[in-house]
Amino acid sequence: MPNLPGKKDIFLMGLWKDNPVLRQILGICSTLAVTNLMVNTLVMNVGLIFTVCMSSLTVSLLRNYTPMRIRMMVQTLIIASYVIIVDILIKAYMPDISEALGPYVALIITNCIIMGRCESFARHNPPGASLVDGLGMSLGYSLVLITIAIIREPLGFGTLLGLRILPEGFVHWTIMIMAPGAFFTLGFLVWIFKYFQPRFEDKEKK
Amino acid sequence: MKKQALSIVYMFLITLFFASLVSAVKFLNEAKIEANQIVKLQRIILKVLNIPVRETISNDDLTRLFTAQIKDIQTGGKILYIGYEEDGRTIRGYAVPVGGPGFWGPIEGMVGVTPDAAKVIALAFYKHNETPGLGGRITEDWFSDQFKGLPLYPIEGGQNIFYLTMEGTQKAANELDAITGATNTSSAVEVFLNQDLDYFLRELWGSIKEKE
Repeated sequence: MPNLPGKKDIFLMGLWKDNPVLRQILGICSTLAVTNLMVNTLVMNVGLIFTVCMSSLTVSLLRNYTPMRIRMMVQTLIIASYVIIVDILIKAYMPDISEALGPYVALIITNCIIMGRCESFARHNPPGASLVDGLGMSLGYSLVLITIAIIREPLGFGTLLGLRILPEGFVHWTIMIMAPGAFFTLGFLVWIFKYFQPRFEDKEKK
Repeated sequence: MKKQALSIVYMFLITLFFASLVSAVKFLNEAKIEANQIVKLQRIILKVLNIPVRETISNDDLTRLFTAQIKDIQTGGKILYIGYEEDGRTIRGYAVPVGGPGFWGPIEGMVGVTPDAAKVIALAFYKHNETPGLGGRITEDWFSDQFKGLPLYPIEGGQNIFYLTMEGTQKAANELDAITGATNTSSAVEVFLNQDLDYFLRELWGSIKEKE
């Protein structure tokens, strides 16, 4: 990549134009799984932001030394190490949340966004740009998860962040708590995104 | 050939570095994680025996309260906890460990039982890997509160101590709400709780009485 775009463009690329969930359809597993409660969503986001940024940074720092044929092994090792560190820290300092998230923290390892960014960006680009790219992508992911949680938690439980926001008599949409509710919500979001995004891009070109 | 050797050395060094980093973080936090788990178990035992605990209590105070009012007793391969009133002599109830396979992994919990083993005082789960927001809701108050005051009697003629059924379809007092969307977790909880409570009533309770 000879002509590296500015840091602002890299950041916006992840946040919006090339959004990992809506555009690249990556990281769907955790998007569907944790978004029925806002608290879980937020912790998942923090965990992912940390892991993506740190992994991208580390892979980028090592990019000139890592032999090509073993690069994926090295990336997996780096990602796994950071995820385990996040898991240990949450267990030590936020035991309640670690309980609520159960196995999901450890499963951040399998989030395709992390390795995707290491493979497609960090291993060709300098550390600063890689860090910004990781931040943009993980914030883009977080934004989508928060949007889905804002739709699912109130409709499924009548609450947001555990606080009741819909009247007591509201009939909970149980489907919103379960996996199909996540699929429907995500499907609608991708639809809306795909509908509007080309128009934005056309405007920019003009 | 030289390239391959370099790859191996590189992988070895980088693994060494990251493994040391993770080990160091683990080592530095291990004591804290262990303490968290012990306090969590103590809190659960106090909760199922309905011993009031201040929301803001420090971990040290909680442990002090625990050692003052709770004694453990080993019987039938299980550790049970005897809860005493504040006078330290009258028995308030027993905390019985319960657990079994859940949908994703083992579930562990405690059930508080009255001194005459006639009723449940309260129930709480402290370890599980169920889906957050679905099966994970077994730790929520609305679920565990249903068990308060549940009458206990040994299982006879295939009649369970309690059943978990669909919300709003209850016909008898021992039919409680299952978790909507978590049928597998609900049935797992129903199976092991009935078994463990039955085992307590038949085997453990008698042997505790003898030991006292």
